[in-house]
Amino acid sequence: MSITLDFNGKNLAKSKQLDLHYLPAKIDGDGEANVEQYFNNYTREATEFGSGILTNALRGYPLVGEQLKVPEGYRGLVLQETEKPISESSDRQLRLTGVFGDFTYWNYDKVPSNGDAYRQALLLADVAQALSQPITEHDLEAEIARNKENAKESP
Amino acid sequence: MSKKATRGSKPKPDPDAERSAKKTTAAALKKVLFVSEELLPKDGDDGRLRLERFFHPGQGKEALFVTHPDGQMMELLEYAEPRRSWLVNSEVCSNGRIYMTTPVDPTLLALHHLRKHCAQRAMSLDNIAVEEASTSRLLNEILDPESLKCVSDVKSSGDQRFYKYNQERTLAWLALKTRQVASMLKEKQIHCGHSAQSQNFVRSEKLASESVTNEMDYTRMACDIVGRYLDADLHGLLTAYLQIPSEIQAIVEEKAAAQKRKSKAGKDEGTDSKKIKLNDSDAAAKLKSSGLVDSEADPNVSITSPTPTPLKERSLTAKEKALAKGAKGTKSIASFFKVK
Repeated sequence: MSITLDFNGKNLAKSKQLDLHYLPAKIDGDGEANVEQYFNNYTREATEFGSGILTNALRGYPLVGEQLKVPEGYRGLVLQETEKPISESSDRQLRLTGVFGDFTYWNYDKVPSNGDAYRQALLLADVAQALSQPITEHDLEAEIARNKENAKESP
Repeated sequence: MSKKATRGSKPKPDPDAERSAKKTTAAALKKVLFVSEELLPKDGDDGRLRLERFFHPGQGKEALFVTHPDGQMMELLEYAEPRRSWLVNSEVCSNGRIYMTTPVDPTLLALHHLRKHCAQRAMSLDNIAVEEASTSRLLNEILDPESLKCVSDVKSSGDQRFYKYNQERTLAWLALKTRQVASMLKEKQIHCGHSAQSQNFVRSEKLASESVTNEMDYTRMACDIVGRYLDADLHGLLTAYLQIPSEIQAIVEEKAAAQKRKSKAGKDEGTDSKKIKLNDSDAAAKLKSSGLVDSEADPNVSITSPTPTPLKERSLTAKEKALAKGAKGTKSIASFFKVK
């Protein structure tokens, strides 16, 4: 079984830019909503919390947010599966809905900071980069030699 | 009356509930991804990315990876918070996850198969796990055979190459990987002590620079991160190789150190309280010298070398005398409890 991300370079270049909001709420349901009129309309800039901090509300619950860029070296994509898979083992396809370079990150009643789980999670990308960095044979030989010496010294 | 009010406030059935239910089934789930620019097809590039499952040794089961037609591969990680969802243009997306590609070294995944099949004898890659499609695809189409030099002995005869798992090289290689990760953790000033949770609340730039950098904490964390891609027993071997004491041991040691600090602090406190006492006796001396309390002691002497003991004794005896005086003529308490 494999899943194909069904787009090529051309599709990607021509795809439309999306406007995304990352909401701090679990919403049970998918579908159309009048976001422009009932949400974007109420976004205000709140300079008292710092530059670029926005406020809004979702069902009366205060939101504090900011415009964030997709992490460096990454591109934001939104994919959608148009056909339901017939069975577990059948090949599946995900189609490209659009791309985005930045999005609005919202916190519930809290100014976005380094303490947010989202920001901490992004550090993992750098760690994974460090882990996947290849190791030269020269370094490896040196390490083996060093370990042998240590083993000789310790007993 | 109040009952009536609650009945009246019962929500009316939503007229467009049915419509929205229909919409939910119509709109398929959207997924939000952060895909590395390195992987994305360039303009005019007609290749398509694929999501494939390969065995993940750390999880002990298959996990999703993104593969590029040219053989490049990245892990697909899922970032999920308990309560998150997306608004995409004018649509609600209940799937509040972010799927993110992170680079991964295919050698780490191949290591599991090498240990399983090539521990005793050298084998060529196309002979390993022929019955498992995903494994043979990993070994033959994605993995760079050159990278296996780091974890195995390579024997070549003619065009064919045979690989035999080499534990010594593997551990040295993993140790170097761990060091790379540890230095990245340090660079990013990620707090690695076991009290990390409390730091989460106030992870500011100031605190990060103040925090005590404990070499072993970084190495332990890095080893655990590398270990997430290893079989459990190999992770154990790596921990031993890097001579990392277990976390419990570290906590015990730290506690002992803290106790030492505390007892030291306690000593300081002790001297402090003594000083307070000294001051007390000074006050007593002053009282004496002021004439409010009659005493034969020289006030100067009592200030420089306080003599609280005779003072105490005397007051005690006075108390006792007073008690004895008050107790005159009263029955002994024991007399109440006599058996009659």
